[in-house]
Amino acid sequence: MSISSDTITGSPGETLVGDDYFTYVEGVGPIPRDIFKYVKSDPFGDLPRYSVHIVIQHFLIFVTFLVLSATGLPLYFSDLAWAKYMVSLFGGVDLARLIHKIAAFTMMFASAYHIITIVGGTLRQILKREFDYRRTVIPRLKDLTDLFHDLKYFLGFEPYRPKMEKFMYKQKAHYLAILWGSFVLTAAGSALLFPDTMAKLFPDTMTQLLPSGVVDKGSFPAFFQNLARLMHADEAVMALIVIAFWHWLNVHFVPGRFPLQWAFLTGRITREHQIEEHFLEYLRNLQEIPEEREYMKRLLREKGFDKSHFVSIADLSRVH
Amino acid sequence: MKSQRKMKAAVFCLGWIVAILWLGFPAVAADKENCLMCHKYPFVGRIDENGKRHNYQVDEASYNHSVHRSVACRDCHTYITKIPHDPVTEEVNCANVCHTKPPFAQEKFSHQKIIDIYNDSAHGIKPDDSPEAKKAKPYCKFCHLNPLYTRVSEKVIAFDETLRRCLNCHQAKGVTQAYIHMTHRLRKKTTRSPQEVVQLCAKCHQDVELMQKLKVSEEGLTAVATYNHTLHGKSVALGSQETADCISCHASFAIHDIYRKDNPKATVYKDNLMQTCLQCHTETNSWFVQIAVHPRTKREENPLIYMAGIGLRFALYGSVCSLVGLMLLETYGRRKDGIKFLLRRGTSWRGKSKRPPRK
Repeated sequence: MSISSDTITGSPGETLVGDDYFTYVEGVGPIPRDIFKYVKSDPFGDLPRYSVHIVIQHFLIFVTFLVLSATGLPLYFSDLAWAKYMVSLFGGVDLARLIHKIAAFTMMFASAYHIITIVGGTLRQILKREFDYRRTVIPRLKDLTDLFHDLKYFLGFEPYRPKMEKFMYKQKAHYLAILWGSFVLTAAGSALLFPDTMAKLFPDTMTQLLPSGVVDKGSFPAFFQNLARLMHADEAVMALIVIAFWHWLNVHFVPGRFPLQWAFLTGRITREHQIEEHFLEYLRNLQEIPEEREYMKRLLREKGFDKSHFVSIADLSRVH
Repeated sequence: MKSQRKMKAAVFCLGWIVAILWLGFPAVAADKENCLMCHKYPFVGRIDENGKRHNYQVDEASYNHSVHRSVACRDCHTYITKIPHDPVTEEVNCANVCHTKPPFAQEKFSHQKIIDIYNDSAHGIKPDDSPEAKKAKPYCKFCHLNPLYTRVSEKVIAFDETLRRCLNCHQAKGVTQAYIHMTHRLRKKTTRSPQEVVQLCAKCHQDVELMQKLKVSEEGLTAVATYNHTLHGKSVALGSQETADCISCHASFAIHDIYRKDNPKATVYKDNLMQTCLQCHTETNSWFVQIAVHPRTKREENPLIYMAGIGLRFALYGSVCSLVGLMLLETYGRRKDGIKFLLRRGTSWRGKSKRPPRK
């Protein structure tokens, strides 16, 4: 399908000062906010998003998560009819529990690998004075305003989506939730696997921190074990439901990504996706990748956006 | 003439002996008194006054594979004094001394020792028990049913190889039986699987009405339910052979010494817990033994855990609903702006936006 130029709304002459429809990029030209509707994208991805380390880590976490769910769920729902059959797939419950532990340690290894890559990468960026917290998953106030902006756009009250960084609000929320969830699951799972060692780790003084009603029932290790039993199962079920009913659908089954978003294997994001949801990151891509700059320059020329006379000084200040 | 008569008598006697040997010998060694003459028939039985049918058949093949294979019938059924016998009113007493002599001991065998342990335990009938308790308390045969006794699972034990060395010196017949009898119990604490143990104990301990009648504690009333809630219980329910069942914690290797937890002799008495947990948990310490093995999560029993559970439930429904809602809203909004599901020919924005044009 060829993109007819008449679908481009508005004409350059009508641009008003203060309107952030156009973003001027040095050496490229003014980029309209909805340029993602006219770019060509490769489903396997055009622009770099994840390093090979992140792809490997995601793959490890993804596989171990499925194994952990498949071996853990029947144990939690042991009174349901399907549990026995599920467990027999792994050669009985004793073997299923062993597989669960092996998968858990693999996942912990992947998590450690991830932390090392992230901390190492950040340190390197700091040393090279390239570190920019806006490109990371650190939450900012902008994420909240982006969320409200986006909600308004979905409901039709805003013409365009917000200009977002490499990680948008829901990715940050999901990442932080995973960080918290894997910490809880690892801690609670270790408590279930090594209850005796765990009991040794906690000093008796911690018991005094508990309300009196709990202390009557036992010491801090006893309380923690009860909490671990609850947390491990409930957090895991929550993680599984969020992954199955939100993450997979949100990543692969929404318009523009169906039937598969290849980023988790190729580490690359499609151009239209990058511009739509990570516009500010795309601007950085333009600075860093000469080919992309050339591509955009050519596209703007084709669509008739290359004339610089309609770009105001006000727009220049908005360039990051 | 005389010698001919003698000859005839001798042939007659010899004939009888041969006939008896021929016909009578296939009977089990234990059945010296030929009880199976009648009891081998499948329909030996009677219908009692209440219309209940009793079957008195003894399956010879099964009996020959049971642990009691070398015990004669009347060693246990001592009240039988003549054949045909009168209606049986007495029950078998496992404390009887039977005529089997175990190898390495010159005394006749009896279960008396384990019965003494049992009678002392929480399950033994005490003089000051209420009539209900006396009635409800199980005795040997409640757990040790004969159907369960049929067929010792000899195949699961690699006894053949070990036994071969014994047979270098010992006679096969005696030592084989002794060896089988010992080894089938040696491998594990109980012959029964954890599943069978839990099922057996739950038969009474899950019966809330009966337990209330016996005035057990609040913990005792919910013991089966709370156990089933733990990793021990869940694993056993799914067929684990490695996880703790009732007997693992509530009895020592004497198996029958189950006491209330306030009895100092009980394995679950607070001073003995360390020893009991150490069977599996090698790092056991004084804090570890305080961890609830039958955890209770009701509000009044464990308020903090109860509240945490509610909080987690809110987090689950909250996060899933809001995230899926956001995704649906997002899909609705973007679809309206003209996006298609599939990325084709380089773009997914092939539709026409239904939004008002930019001013």
